[in-house]
Amino acid sequence: MIRLEDVSKRYPNGTAALQDVDLTIDQGEFAFLVGSSGAGKSTLIRLLIRDELPTTGRVIVDDKDVAILRRSQIPHLRRLVGVVFQDFKLLPTKTVTENIAFALLVTGHEGHVVREETERTLALVGLSHRRGHFPRELSGGEQQRVAIARALVNRPRVLIADEPTGNLDPVTSWEIIKLLTRVQELGTTLVMATHNAEIVNALRRRVIHLDHGAVVRDEREGLYAA
Amino acid sequence: MRRIAYVLGAAWQGFWRNPVMSIAATLTVSLMLLLFAFFIVTDRGLQAAVTALESKVELVLYLDDGAKPSDILALKARIENDPAVSRVDYITKQQALDRLRELAQRKEDFTLADIGINPLPASLEIKLANAQDTGRLAASLKDELGRGVVTDVIDNPTVVEKLLTITRVLSIGGVAVLAMMLFVALFVIVNTIRIAVHARRDEIEIMQLVGATDWFVSWPFILEGILVGTFGAIVALAVLALASGPVTSAMVGFLDILPVSLGANFVLELAAGVLAFAVLVGGFGASFSVRSQLAKGAHA
Repeated sequence: MIRLEDVSKRYPNGTAALQDVDLTIDQGEFAFLVGSSGAGKSTLIRLLIRDELPTTGRVIVDDKDVAILRRSQIPHLRRLVGVVFQDFKLLPTKTVTENIAFALLVTGHEGHVVREETERTLALVGLSHRRGHFPRELSGGEQQRVAIARALVNRPRVLIADEPTGNLDPVTSWEIIKLLTRVQELGTTLVMATHNAEIVNALRRRVIHLDHGAVVRDEREGLYAA
Repeated sequence: MRRIAYVLGAAWQGFWRNPVMSIAATLTVSLMLLLFAFFIVTDRGLQAAVTALESKVELVLYLDDGAKPSDILALKARIENDPAVSRVDYITKQQALDRLRELAQRKEDFTLADIGINPLPASLEIKLANAQDTGRLAASLKDELGRGVVTDVIDNPTVVEKLLTITRVLSIGGVAVLAMMLFVALFVIVNTIRIAVHARRDEIEIMQLVGATDWFVSWPFILEGILVGTFGAIVALAVLALASGPVTSAMVGFLDILPVSLGANFVLELAAGVLAFAVLVGGFGASFSVRSQLAKGAHA
């Protein structure tokens, strides 16, 4: 599903964010990205959604080299790869339902599809009872659920979560992790960048450890620290 | 249909999200369009006047009552040989008097007393292919004075020349003013849309993140620009409609002697022109600012 071949990323200011990264993540897999701040996790995620281009090497998502995608093809990549951020990025003037439906509306779906899929996703993340609320009326965990729902409503094949529990308390973090695990069990590839050692150690999933832009450890049932 | 409805709704919301800015942009566009319309009307009117004047007699030679017909015909033939001349008509004394009587009948404030003898001279009326040659020909014909045939050379078409000068100045000046107004209108629209884009940058970021196409991201803004143009055109056309009565009568009064007509479809053409111009300016200005903003946002 995701393949990085000899990928390096150097920013114009000279920072080497990634160096010679080789990586394959299969369809349906659950992979943690760990490493200290500035290790290259966020850069790697940006490369996957073509928010950045690799300086050298190839980034392949769903058998397509994202670097040579034409501008008109980028939206299709973005529909294939849903993203969730630490700061949720919800629209404050829209309700829960509207925030989720927005992703379908702006990708040109018909009204009945928008209604049905929004309803389905609301139920999946357990927020049907909060549909009419605005983001400011929700707890952090609920806001993150809305963000996850928005990322999932287009039925992406990959869900990328960039520190999804970074702003949440431990109990809420576990609720979010349970939700993400369920999403992965339904068949979506899940890549999660995190600093949360407790979660990584408890789940015993694949761990890809980045340090100074290089993969220093890649274990099938890994721990947060070696 | 869903897409169109979404884009229309978003554009409408966008227009009213920042009403002060939108209305300022609309009025700027209106002002530009009014100038544009004024320029077109004036240009059309003057052109019609020039055409009307050009089709009239341009040079008149008054002939001595005692001139021999053979001399007159020889002179006529000579003038006709000049390449700048399109036509020469011989007007007898009687024809001149008939014309005067006819004119007197049309004009209420003009009465012709019964006159025994005909005081009007016979004449040669010369029409030119090009009004600009009037001066040269008049100068050469002045040589005929005092040879017993020609008593006077009437160079009345200086009016044409003056009109031509006015039209030329107006064309250049009008285009310059119009270009400046176009620039200002574009600037205001580009800025209005840029502010709108900036205000919605979070929304745009999310749209791009969830895989909205550039079309979906940019068309609400382009349509918002077109909306500004269209509203501007409506305001300008309303002002024109209110002003057209007094302005037309003033113009007809000014150009009284000329059979000037702007054409039956002129008003429709003008309205369509103004609207099309406004839509183009609005759409182009908006798409320019959206494009520059999108280029900043997405790495393509």
